Amino acid sequence: MPEFNAAFPLPREIDFAMLMPVIMVLVTGMIALVIEMLRPKQNNNLIVIFSIAGLMAAGVATAIQFGQPEKTTLVEMVLRDQFGLICQLLLVVACALTILFSETYLRSRRIAFGEFYPLVLWSTAGAMIMASSRNLLVIFLGLEILSISLYVLAGLARAELRSEESSLKYFLLGSFASGFFLYGIAMFYGATGSLDLAFLANGLTGNPAAKTLLVFGIGLMFVGLGFKAALVPFHQWTPDVYQGAPTNVTAFMAVCSKIGAIAALFRVLVAAAPMKADWLPAMMAIAMLTMIVGNAVALLQKDVKRILGYSSIGHAGYLLVGLLAYVNAPDQVSIATTGYYLLSYTFMTLGAFAVISVVTKDGRDTTRLEDLNGLWQRDRLAAVLLVVFMVSLIGIPPSAGFFGKFFIFQDAISAGLVPLAIVLAISSAISVAYYLQIARAAFVVETEPRPAMRMSPALRATGLICLLGVVLAGILVTPVQRFLMGTPAEEPMEASTTGLVGKG
Amino acid sequence: MFDVASWHPALQALLRVLLFVLPLLLVVPGLIWWERRLLSWMQDRIGPNRVATITLKSGRKIKLFGLLQPIADGIKLFFKEDITPSAIDRLIYFVAPAVALFPAFALGGTLPWSGNTLLTPIADVNVGILYVMAISSLGVYGIVLAGYASNNKYSLMGGLRATAQLISYELAMGMSLAAIVLASGSLKMTQMVTTQQGDLLGVVPFLNNWFIFTPFGFVAAVVFAICVIAETNRAPFDLPEAENELIAGYHTEYSSMKFAVFFMGEYAAMLVFAGVFSTVFLGGYDMFIDPLEGIAGTTLGGLATFMFKTVASFTCFIWLRASLPRLRYDQLMSLGWRTLLPVAVSNFIVVALWILITNKYGVWQGWIAYLGSFGLLFAVYLAVRGLSKNRVDNALAPRSISLVDGTRSVNVADPQAEGVGS
Amino acid sequence: MESYIGILVLVAVAAIVCVAMVSLSWVLGPKKVTPYKSSPYECGVTPEGSARERFPIKFYLVAILFILFDIEVIFLWSWMTIYRDSEVSFQLFSFIEMLVYMSTWILGYIYAVRVGAIDWDETTSLDPAKLEDTVLPKLEAKPVLQPATEGS
Repeated sequence: MPEFNAAFPLPREIDFAMLMPVIMVLVTGMIALVIEMLRPKQNNNLIVIFSIAGLMAAGVATAIQFGQPEKTTLVEMVLRDQFGLICQLLLVVACALTILFSETYLRSRRIAFGEFYPLVLWSTAGAMIMASSRNLLVIFLGLEILSISLYVLAGLARAELRSEESSLKYFLLGSFASGFFLYGIAMFYGATGSLDLAFLANGLTGNPAAKTLLVFGIGLMFVGLGFKAALVPFHQWTPDVYQGAPTNVTAFMAVCSKIGAIAALFRVLVAAAPMKADWLPAMMAIAMLTMIVGNAVALLQKDVKRILGYSSIGHAGYLLVGLLAYVNAPDQVSIATTGYYLLSYTFMTLGAFAVISVVTKDGRDTTRLEDLNGLWQRDRLAAVLLVVFMVSLIGIPPSAGFFGKFFIFQDAISAGLVPLAIVLAISSAISVAYYLQIARAAFVVETEPRPAMRMSPALRATGLICLLGVVLAGILVTPVQRFLMGTPAEEPMEASTTGLVGKG
Repeated sequence: MFDVASWHPALQALLRVLLFVLPLLLVVPGLIWWERRLLSWMQDRIGPNRVATITLKSGRKIKLFGLLQPIADGIKLFFKEDITPSAIDRLIYFVAPAVALFPAFALGGTLPWSGNTLLTPIADVNVGILYVMAISSLGVYGIVLAGYASNNKYSLMGGLRATAQLISYELAMGMSLAAIVLASGSLKMTQMVTTQQGDLLGVVPFLNNWFIFTPFGFVAAVVFAICVIAETNRAPFDLPEAENELIAGYHTEYSSMKFAVFFMGEYAAMLVFAGVFSTVFLGGYDMFIDPLEGIAGTTLGGLATFMFKTVASFTCFIWLRASLPRLRYDQLMSLGWRTLLPVAVSNFIVVALWILITNKYGVWQGWIAYLGSFGLLFAVYLAVRGLSKNRVDNALAPRSISLVDGTRSVNVADPQAEGVGS
Repeated sequence: MESYIGILVLVAVAAIVCVAMVSLSWVLGPKKVTPYKSSPYECGVTPEGSARERFPIKFYLVAILFILFDIEVIFLWSWMTIYRDSEVSFQLFSFIEMLVYMSTWILGYIYAVRVGAIDWDETTSLDPAKLEDTVLPKLEAKPVLQPATEGS
């Protein structure tokens, strides 16, 4: 007769409040799928409403945990800390914004499949899982949920060759990267006897071979996550996939996949801090390369989505600088800087892609720079929004983009990573050129009249929320940062900030 | 007597293996003869009855009812030309029959044919039934490789069909066995037999609790039996080798003994599956009535009981072949996915509920909960079936394509039939 | 571990028997190769083209569904072995857990059925364009075909 002795977590030992955000998003996805099954081939407004409501609930469930102490639950599989919570909240917000403007866009592309919403929601849940664990297998699980949904989403416009190409490219390279990550996990396990990143020290104390194994393991994990975050030697897929995928998927991918990967990278980097002598120079080189290549190659592009793709590579570089600064000097630098940068990145990137999605016509997506021409004539608001997002992406003072970059710059210097700070400044200067190019294209007056290019109400709302996010996060820097740090309110300003971040 | 227990473990294992494999090799021709004779009787024919008629000098004839016919066939096949088509993928072509036969022998690794733990099962590993499922799913490789390697259109189609069929029915098979595993609390097949020696339904003291006599076991047994027939590509599920469409399916290009190896694999797998069926659902080497336990307890008594059940199950398979027409491919897939799988899954869930209620409240409450919830699930299933109208029932309707104007439907097989041609 | 020796021996014996069977006829039988004999069998006519053509995507779909459903169930097998003999409190909890887990399975299953992933009538397995070629020319008018079951 088999004996059962394992310590199984009983319900009362599980902190469901910590699991709730992920569960909510997953269940919302299932509900969305059920709605789609019940009324196939009809309009998806009901799904959109349900999804956004579910995401709002998940956002609230995340936000109320802000400032609570670090804790693990479910046999140490799930971890709650401030950075993870920031990432989760941003993911929920980004997903809600994507869903908000997707329906009209998908309809204009004639690919209004109801399955889009469950997939987006599950993908978000995957990224949220990545952000809330220190256990490598759970991170891998989240990575796969995120990626597999994205592979499908990238090929959503299945009648188009480019979308198919994008999906296949992403799938092949992505599964390769997952393989790297998994191999890294295996080596980590071999060296430490545990899948929990907290036990990394096991591999450092014992025999020297274990340490070699550990270095390789960590290196392979960097490769796998670097692929997802689009860091430079592993970035080749980014422009093609971003260009081929439907624009709303691109927006989602650029934000959520990046946040998830950065969150996981953060965990690995922090855990690997005791052996940073082994990898810090390499990671610094990667960060520099990422910033330079991303921004320099963007100059040569003619397609808006490709430009933004390269720009997102550059931003991944900035984010990596923030992470490295934190890991190098955790007592002088706050991780809230990176959190703040992620916040500004979320709003400006999503907003930019949302505005770009307006140029769809006849179910086709042409996003060369010329296709933006005449935007000012057709829709003033769209052009203004585009300019604001570009300004923020460049990093011009009142915008959130500026403060994000500035803080990271500051952190890099105070953490003693001066070369990174210099490269950051230089590459930001380079980026001005191509961002302005996009903004300028919108104002070129077109002589030949073209079919209407107007924003739908939902798209307008998305753009305005992103605008609000970019501007308010810029104006209310201190309260927002305090909110992200999870420190209790001291000034009456706090209320408005909560309103801003809680928007979903 | 030999003192088997003191032998080296490997030698003991070899003895057990030979005790299983050699009889299996000998029994298979007998089975083929049995099927041919039985089918003939069922179809009002005579069947093979000439071979092995010995005429003595005195003119007296000893008739063995054609029992040696399959052996004669086998010898003939060994000496026939082994035609190797020119455009094949050589290595795979040669390996495929061996791969197809292999699972039939390997399947019996955990099957106990008697209570004698020294002689059987070959390996009483604690993944017992999972091992059977794992090996049985290897069967698909032989077929699909044969289909691919032959470079023949019929073979390829047969191989593909077989693949889809086998994997579809494997799901339902796994779920039906899962219910039994849940009820016996172990994957070991010996443990399953022991569990079935308890009181029938937990209440009848002198009868044994064969799973087929319990409600959940009966449902699982029906599903399992259907899946076994599909897994072994037997009529009415013999689509991979449907001769009126695909010549001989995946073994079209095979001749001589290679063809016979596929044939043997099918019969051996059927016999072993019949053995698995008797072990899991019919109590294995166990006698149904308590006073007869003594007979079943001896090695030979157990073997006889087990063989009787196995051959009876095997005979039922043959009976099905004689009675049922072959399914159409979409009906086959529909049966596997839409009927067997939901039934097996509901059964599985309900068994878990039954165990829970029995442990918490008592035996009678458990059965009431079981029957009630299964009835409820079945009602839900029927309702869903009714709701999704042209999705489910069209499996039995004649195949047609409906046109947009909704007034006519055209039979694909014969467009003229409904007067649409001009 | 010792109990697995039997499996190893069985596998070895089975492999030997199988290989012997296949190779024996190769050794014993006569060989007279002629071009006609060694061409692929196609009901007596000259074989046309290669047999390794593209085949319907449905087969892949079934394979993928099988993998999904089978892998999901695999996780339950270890639970099955301990369920019957554990305490009632654990049974109750794990039963509910199993229901939650199976609900995802069932949702996926219903979805697969709903989108016609396992429908095998010609309207879903044939390319609409192909249908148009084979069926429609025989009709007087040329109405648009509407598949009875639409994939997503």
